[in-house]
Amino acid sequence: MSDTFSFLLMAWLDPQLLLLTALGTLAGIYVGAIPGLSVTMAASILISFTFSWDINNALALMVGIYVGGVYGGSRTAILLNIPGAPSAVVTAFDGYPLAQRGEAGQAIGLSTVMSVIGGLLGTLVLAGSAPFLADMALEFAPRDYFLIAVLGLLLVSTLSGKSLARGIFSVALGASIGLVGMDMVTAQPRLTMGSMELLGGIHYVVVMIGLFGVAEAFYQLHNLTKVPIKQKVDKIIPPLSMVLKYLPLSIRTSIIGVIVGALPGTGGDIASLFAYDHAKRTVKNPSSPFGEGAYEGLVAPETANNAAVGGAYVPMLTLGMPGDAVTAVILGALVIHGLNPGPMLMIETPHIFWFTVGNLALANIFLLIFGLTGIKVFSKVVEVPKALLIPLILVLCVVGTYSINSNMTEVYWMLGFGILGYWLKVFGFQMGPVILGVILGPLLDETYRQAMSSVGDSGGQFLLALVTNPLSLVLTTVIALVLLGQTPAKTWLTSQFQRN
Amino acid sequence: MFKPLLTSLAVAVGSLAMAGNALAEYPERNIQATIQWGAGGATDNVARSLTPHVEEILDTTVVLTNRPGGTGVIGMNHVMRQRADGYNLLYGAENPQLYQLMGLADFSYDDMHTVNIIGQGLVVIAAPADSPFDSLADLLEHAKANPGELRMGGTGAGGLPSTVLAMVNAVDELDVRNVTFGGDGPGITAMLGGHIDFMPLSLAAVGEQIRSGKMKGLAVLTKEEIEALPGVPPITQALPDIESFLPWGPFWGVFVHQDTPDDIKATLEEAYEQAVANQEFGDFMQNFGAEVLNLNGEAAEQYLDNWQSVTAWAMYEADAETLEATPEELGIPRP
Repeated sequence: MSDTFSFLLMAWLDPQLLLLTALGTLAGIYVGAIPGLSVTMAASILISFTFSWDINNALALMVGIYVGGVYGGSRTAILLNIPGAPSAVVTAFDGYPLAQRGEAGQAIGLSTVMSVIGGLLGTLVLAGSAPFLADMALEFAPRDYFLIAVLGLLLVSTLSGKSLARGIFSVALGASIGLVGMDMVTAQPRLTMGSMELLGGIHYVVVMIGLFGVAEAFYQLHNLTKVPIKQKVDKIIPPLSMVLKYLPLSIRTSIIGVIVGALPGTGGDIASLFAYDHAKRTVKNPSSPFGEGAYEGLVAPETANNAAVGGAYVPMLTLGMPGDAVTAVILGALVIHGLNPGPMLMIETPHIFWFTVGNLALANIFLLIFGLTGIKVFSKVVEVPKALLIPLILVLCVVGTYSINSNMTEVYWMLGFGILGYWLKVFGFQMGPVILGVILGPLLDETYRQAMSSVGDSGGQFLLALVTNPLSLVLTTVIALVLLGQTPAKTWLTSQFQRN
Repeated sequence: MFKPLLTSLAVAVGSLAMAGNALAEYPERNIQATIQWGAGGATDNVARSLTPHVEEILDTTVVLTNRPGGTGVIGMNHVMRQRADGYNLLYGAENPQLYQLMGLADFSYDDMHTVNIIGQGLVVIAAPADSPFDSLADLLEHAKANPGELRMGGTGAGGLPSTVLAMVNAVDELDVRNVTFGGDGPGITAMLGGHIDFMPLSLAAVGEQIRSGKMKGLAVLTKEEIEALPGVPPITQALPDIESFLPWGPFWGVFVHQDTPDDIKATLEEAYEQAVANQEFGDFMQNFGAEVLNLNGEAAEQYLDNWQSVTAWAMYEADAETLEATPEELGIPRP
């Protein structure tokens, strides 16, 4: 017990580890804020960099980068409508309208506090029920991931804005983009039109930067002469009453985040989508309508994506299996440092588990400190004249895209998507559903085929499995209820009942 | 009269010195190395633990970049298109030896110069701990009685599991449902949850799971039992005929452009030979469940040819229809 405690406080008491965690968190915020610079990339560069270091130092730096990076994506989402990372896409829905109202400072302040609450709750769940959660995550068969993806598709109604038809079109477009590349089963090129560069598919961050960054930059040319909104920067730290008011919601969305994060097949991006959807369904009287600057629409994704960090560590620390791309890299770091990540990790090197838990908590404290300082300067970004800001955004988009895989072809793709996105915006299409499609398309493709081949390619067996397995049955029921609740079927059913 | 002479002499000496530098002092700047698989994967782990030793020997920085996609086609294609000056290296796995067979690209490692074949992974056929099968023989027996019932985890055509399945089918019969995952990790996770029945995996990926008792090894792809997996029978016990394919396993190597100057090739070969032989790297590989090979020159070429011939013909004999070309058409000799 005392051992556990000393491992837990290791990062808090050792000045070097403390400093590295702080440094990592600060760096992470900036890495996360720039579209294209990802935490995965930063962590993998750190592996070579920290090769000769003590493992604890390397881990402390990576934990900091991870926590800071997931949060950092929200900064640019709120200020510029350009999410720094896929998990911040949803944050822009209500964050950017808030900035347009001159409340960027408050929005960033609230998202910081909420990120920290989400992050700490995620860490708490990791500490308290990692083995239990890991066992639960293993229960998810390919068909269950398929059902989750289908459930995700239904989010289209939340993300479409005014026109559902346009939303459905956008999801389909996104899903088709996600199908480009080598077929995972047969290794045959699919929709690549003979291009070798396309064999690897189109990275979804490329699509994201194009659709959100470049398209947004072009779109803002429409209001080039508009005087930037003066930002109110006096009330940055949200009052306690506000935090308490959103606490119940943030707890619910944190639970969504940690569970979705713990599933090895899904991460913070999907978690934030589900959380936003949950907020939109359950909050009856938001501070403003959703999509027009509701604080609830900021709270939900920001808690969920940071809670997902704790979740992603669950399979990594208990089973030696990555929960997402970042934990995959951290696992690699453990291997290189001579540890054997696997189910024995917690038994043979218990300090890694408790050290990580303590370190995650510490990184969240630093996140609170760094997140709440410097907001005034950041908020001024919105006040920068468009003629300066737009070229700067375009440069960042190109640099960010190139840095994903150091591939110039992806830069051209990104610019192409920027132009496409601009026209989509002009004709009233939302960008959210396209990203939804890009994220869910490959997941649907992969899991459907896995589920089908598991039952010997028999459609009947597949459908039967959806209702005979308890977990699948729950998911199928939820989908059925959502479908009934969202479509004209509901009105029809209600009218039938009323007639009787 | 004297002055111009002196000047020209100085210029001559200067340029000579510069020319001498260019030859003698490779590397004079950072070296770019491309990893053809993503961050956190086996190739990435091997590359990132070997590179610091190489940097020390060459006294330069080797900048590592992951360029994944298309089972490594994109990364390899990138390096082949760079200048042949020795400043662009490729860290690759076994996959390029099958590109032509599968119609993914028209090149293989024959089109590059091999600096070093670093090492080779060991392969285990693994099953969940509560599986009713205790050995590959049990599994084969069950599969013959119930063809097309067992669920095997795979990683797609040309991946390790499908190649192992091809080898088994080349000498015996194993009819299974092939459930494809995005990599070893997702496959192992599915197996831990009991969603698939068995999966051929690299020891590096599954060793810890077996050691912890969450999974068991049904057979190891070697002729003899190995130290790292006591009690797991060699595959030849259930399938003696498979011996002709052995030793076989996924491998990792370093490659440069074919037209790189010979002295640079030699410098790189020497540096890598020394780095791979490093004790610390050796410990890493052992811990990783892999075997150090450290081959270059003739031995490396022979290893690559042999690997290609064994794998291509096993795949051809097991399921010729799925291939884009026959090994014969590609001039790959029979093992």
